[in-house]
Amino acid sequence: MRQSTPMELRMGAAREGRLSLPGLPRMLTSEHPLPWLLPLTAMLLVFTVYPLIYNIWLSFHEYVPFKRALVPVGTDNWARLLADERFWGAMGTTFLYFFVVLGIELVLGIALAMLLDSDAPGYGLLRSLLTLTLVIPPAITGMMFLLMEDAQFGVLTWALQGIGLLSPDTPILATPSTALAGVMLADIWQWTPFMVLIVLAGLRSLPPEPYEAAMLDGAGPWMIFRKITLPLLSKVLAVAILIRGIDLFRVFDYMFVMTSGGPGTSTYTLSLYAWQQTFSFIQWGYGATLSLVTLALILILANLFIWISKVRW
Amino acid sequence: MAQVSYRKIAKSYGAVEVMRDVELDIADGEFAVLLGSSGCGKTTLLRMTAGLETITAGDLMIGGARVNDRPPKDRDIAMVFQNYALYPTMKVFENIAFSLRVKKAPEAEVKRKVGAAAEVLNLTDYLDRYPRELSGGQRQRVAMGRAMVRDAEVFLFDEPLSNLDAKLRAHMRVEIRQLHDRQGATTIYVTHDQIEAMTMADKIVLMKGGKVEQVGTPDELYDRPVSKYAADFVGSPSMNFIEGEIGEREGAPIFLAEGVAAPLPAPMARHLGRRTIAGLRPSDLHPAENGAVQGTLTLAEKTGADQNLHVRAAGVDIVSTAPRNFQVRQGQHIALAIPPERVHLFDAATERRLGA
Ligand SMILES: Nc1ncnc2c1ncn2[C@@H]1O[C@H](COP(=O)(O)OP(=O)(O)OP(=O)(O)O)[C@@H](O)[C@H]1O
Ligand SMILES: [Mg+2]
Repeated sequence: MRQSTPMELRMGAAREGRLSLPGLPRMLTSEHPLPWLLPLTAMLLVFTVYPLIYNIWLSFHEYVPFKRALVPVGTDNWARLLADERFWGAMGTTFLYFFVVLGIELVLGIALAMLLDSDAPGYGLLRSLLTLTLVIPPAITGMMFLLMEDAQFGVLTWALQGIGLLSPDTPILATPSTALAGVMLADIWQWTPFMVLIVLAGLRSLPPEPYEAAMLDGAGPWMIFRKITLPLLSKVLAVAILIRGIDLFRVFDYMFVMTSGGPGTSTYTLSLYAWQQTFSFIQWGYGATLSLVTLALILILANLFIWISKVRW
Repeated sequence: MAQVSYRKIAKSYGAVEVMRDVELDIADGEFAVLLGSSGCGKTTLLRMTAGLETITAGDLMIGGARVNDRPPKDRDIAMVFQNYALYPTMKVFENIAFSLRVKKAPEAEVKRKVGAAAEVLNLTDYLDRYPRELSGGQRQRVAMGRAMVRDAEVFLFDEPLSNLDAKLRAHMRVEIRQLHDRQGATTIYVTHDQIEAMTMADKIVLMKGGKVEQVGTPDELYDRPVSKYAADFVGSPSMNFIEGEIGEREGAPIFLAEGVAAPLPAPMARHLGRRTIAGLRPSDLHPAENGAVQGTLTLAEKTGADQNLHVRAAGVDIVSTAPRNFQVRQGQHIALAIPPERVHLFDAATERRLGA
């Protein structure tokens, strides 16, 4: 049998009137919790459950333009998915984008956070400046990087050519092999500070004692980082990876603004492809199928990750 | 070779000075016990020795070299922290093994050393647990274990047994002392426990308010405390203090207070007329006809082997140790005698010991 959680026990006790808990929300101590739950339940139904069910329903239908109606198509959309090379391509692009950007943002985030973890004057200001990139709408960031990576006058193009990383005949966003990297730059620029802030919050709350003990045990900086800091940060890192990972998996804005999926289909992610099917090709049913697959993948990956990264200490 | 020397060590936190002019030498291989009331700076001194706290002024020498600016990991010091400072993310085994891992010791050696330490510490059943799954005393033993697998030049113990039960404590006392005798490492050991201090120490360092009050062997501290504070700190039950005056009777010096007339050694005559505090150890006071201290018995506490007699005299509560079979009644008049040479005298104003 499942054990009751402390909250359930307290609620049970409260309902039986053995305990009055002024600190708890009324809902939890009420004899009649339903009215209190109603607004939230209604919101969930309207904004989450209904769209989800409608999407599932939609994936078994398709819009037929000359009839101007949705007609049932059975499992056609799902079968089409398996054979659709563009779908598999978009999936590959999404995973590539997901792993590369997450990896870079994580490593950079940890590194910068450790550099900024200091009480010396000026660091507080630096830390607050980090929030600036986070308030820019991603589409604007996309425009900025579009300009900066312009083949003729982009400053990034100019700099990369200057240090010999880019040859003058490769326009970053118009070359299939570099376009995705060009988009990644915008994402990394915008969201690494988010990682930094989360990791910094974690670092600031670490206890000093294990570090003192480790120093006396003779550990060097790398050993201390690997054996003390990283494990102590694991909870914080797991949260950061989860939040950022989910965002990355459904990335849309940057490619939409910077490349529209091109050149060719080299920067089509699942979200962008679903958008194209739904709104450019008016294939509502197939678009819904694509977004459902994306949702399912995110759910599976997120839960897998939560399960793996369950912190044991 | 690792004698530890403190030269005019001072420590301030901002404007708060917590330590001043600490002059102290601990010889190579010596077992020094740091004693002192809570907040007198024992932990601070250990942390400065380990390099975890900056030294505001003065020189810290280890093995003849000034190490003020040497980082902790290069000082070859093992420390048991007062707050344990375990690695929360590692199981007990890895906690103890960490220093061996740092040295990249072979797995067999790690297993052997950790196993041996766990054996001594009664931790064998807990090697697979995380620190948060242990009781306070178990955590403290893990902290001990971490030090035991080290072979450092200097060992620092900050009240390492404070959370253990009496039996385990007695056992650990012997283990620590044997470990020390085997390794011959210089050891500084902080404790509040009289018995630990007296039984383990080669040298006792008594601190008071961030300064060294007295340094000496356990016997020296017990027999010749330099001040009332030192006298009060060493010995259990603690010393009785009576304020009075040095007078003269039949040509011999005598300590006089209400209900007290204790003969003193002849050389004390030179302090004639001085306001003094007499210190009388409970174990030196014996019930006797015409004793020096006259009073009424208020309480007899059995302690097992002996009993402590509480006697109201000179307006204070005087404790004396008597054999357990000594028969007394509460409220009874009683006299306690003390040999003249066992009376400790302190100046009433400065509370320093009066010499002969
Ligand atoms: N970080 C700090 N900032 C300011 N004062 C401090 C700090 N750490 C310690 N102190 C002060 O330094 C003094 C010595 O502290 P310390 O911890 O060395 O005492 P202790 O002798 O180990 O006491 P205990 O027996 O209670 O462990 C205390 O008065 C304490 O308040
Ligand atoms: Mg202390």
